[in-house]
Amino acid sequence: MNVRRKGAMRGILTLGSLDPAFEAARRVEGEMAVLDLQSVEFVEPAGLCGLAALLEFLIPRSRLVGLRFFGHDVAAYLERMDFFRIFGHRIETNVDVAALEERRRGNPGTLQELISFHSEEEIPGIINRISEILENKEYRLRERAAICATLSEICANAVEHGSSPFGAYAAVQAYQHIVSGGRERRGEEVLVAIADGGVGVRETLSRNPEYADHTASDNDALRHALKMGVSGTGEIGRGGGLAVVGQIAARAGGSLSLRSGSGRVTFYGDRNNSRNVPTFPGTFVRVSLPRKAGA
Amino acid sequence: MISLKTVRTKSVAEEPSRAVYDVASGDAEGAGGKLMVTRGTGRRVREALAEVLEGLPGGGVLYVDTRGVELMDYSFADEALGILASRVAAGEYGDRHVVLIEEDRELLENIEASLRQRGMAMIRVDEPGAKPEIVGEVSEHLVETLRTIYEAGSITNADLAARLGINHTACNNRATKLFKLGLIHRRKNTAAPGGRQYSYEGIA
Repeated sequence: MNVRRKGAMRGILTLGSLDPAFEAARRVEGEMAVLDLQSVEFVEPAGLCGLAALLEFLIPRSRLVGLRFFGHDVAAYLERMDFFRIFGHRIETNVDVAALEERRRGNPGTLQELISFHSEEEIPGIINRISEILENKEYRLRERAAICATLSEICANAVEHGSSPFGAYAAVQAYQHIVSGGRERRGEEVLVAIADGGVGVRETLSRNPEYADHTASDNDALRHALKMGVSGTGEIGRGGGLAVVGQIAARAGGSLSLRSGSGRVTFYGDRNNSRNVPTFPGTFVRVSLPRKAGA
Repeated sequence: MISLKTVRTKSVAEEPSRAVYDVASGDAEGAGGKLMVTRGTGRRVREALAEVLEGLPGGGVLYVDTRGVELMDYSFADEALGILASRVAAGEYGDRHVVLIEEDRELLENIEASLRQRGMAMIRVDEPGAKPEIVGEVSEHLVETLRTIYEAGSITNADLAARLGINHTACNNRATKLFKLGLIHRRKNTAAPGGRQYSYEGIA
């Protein structure tokens, strides 16, 4: 399985670049599967969480899963992001993971390594830790609040609606340049990504008969889920978290992207972009929070 | 369970009993502290708040002090304060009320969003004794009525109607809405000329 994809940003591992691998994984029936990551030069949190979700999807279907890297840089980054701590014993690879562990260095932009969680009770601990890291890195209170509230709300959504066999994966990384948008630009950006293997947004909202007109397609359901007060249970007060995250991202000049089923919606505050994409088995959220000087 | 050691209860002669609950000083066993996130945490804080509220005498006011909290996400805000405000308004705590102690900062946005979602509101003060403000959903004409009641300290329906330039029934309707939102005290004055009459006063 090659992660390269026509139209995807060359060399960057995003969720989109994993689509062909998800497609191929559906056809695996017990044989060994090799995931070719040799074209990957850069991994963003979305790609990391996407890769974790892909492996959770693929490992039960395959006798053995292999990962192939070109050189050591990408594997070393994955090691620093705790990827091999979670998956090292479940896959086979062409790099010496033990040697990577020995040479391990700190990763200055990492705000949250790849983390697996299963319940809401784990979230305050995750938020306390990232808040401490942000404080040590001298992020302003307003920025810390934005990053922590974003992470807590989408983590809570993942475990509340997910019914996911593997829980959810999250990762957060800060960059000294703007990663989102297809080309490197000046500025700073924090990327938050979460992936779960649950039933997806459309099925969750379909439990509420009131939303029958808004769940005809995955994209309809995703667009509706972004509205204030929309939730599967229909209880008053519910369904505000995602809307608030969208507002936080928009206010920072960033975006909130959702993928679930065959839908993909990106929310910029004043507009949505949606398109049909290959099916993702669960729900995936990516939030871009550019940092503003003097914010 | 949230520690109640942070609660100060004060009975002042001729003044309803008051308690102050400092949310940031709640115990640290996964619930208290400066970072208030998730519905589970919100539920535990709300239960602690409800316990204090129920311990107050009739007419008592619970001041919920969130000034030490650095972060409050929407889920926490809705579970701890949105639901509490809804239950106060529904009369679950009799004529006891809740006031928020918080400054005008971004943290309020999630409380505001939750209360608006629920069609609720709370009285907010920067600090105990400071000028009361409103957080949440209150229509413009009710804001005017509320402001007049708070400025007066205590006011009868007839006087309030006169100040607002509206008839007694309309005035009573407005004040009843504010009372049902848990934003004012209402007393029945049976000795009033011409039969019973309500008088109103602020809760903060």
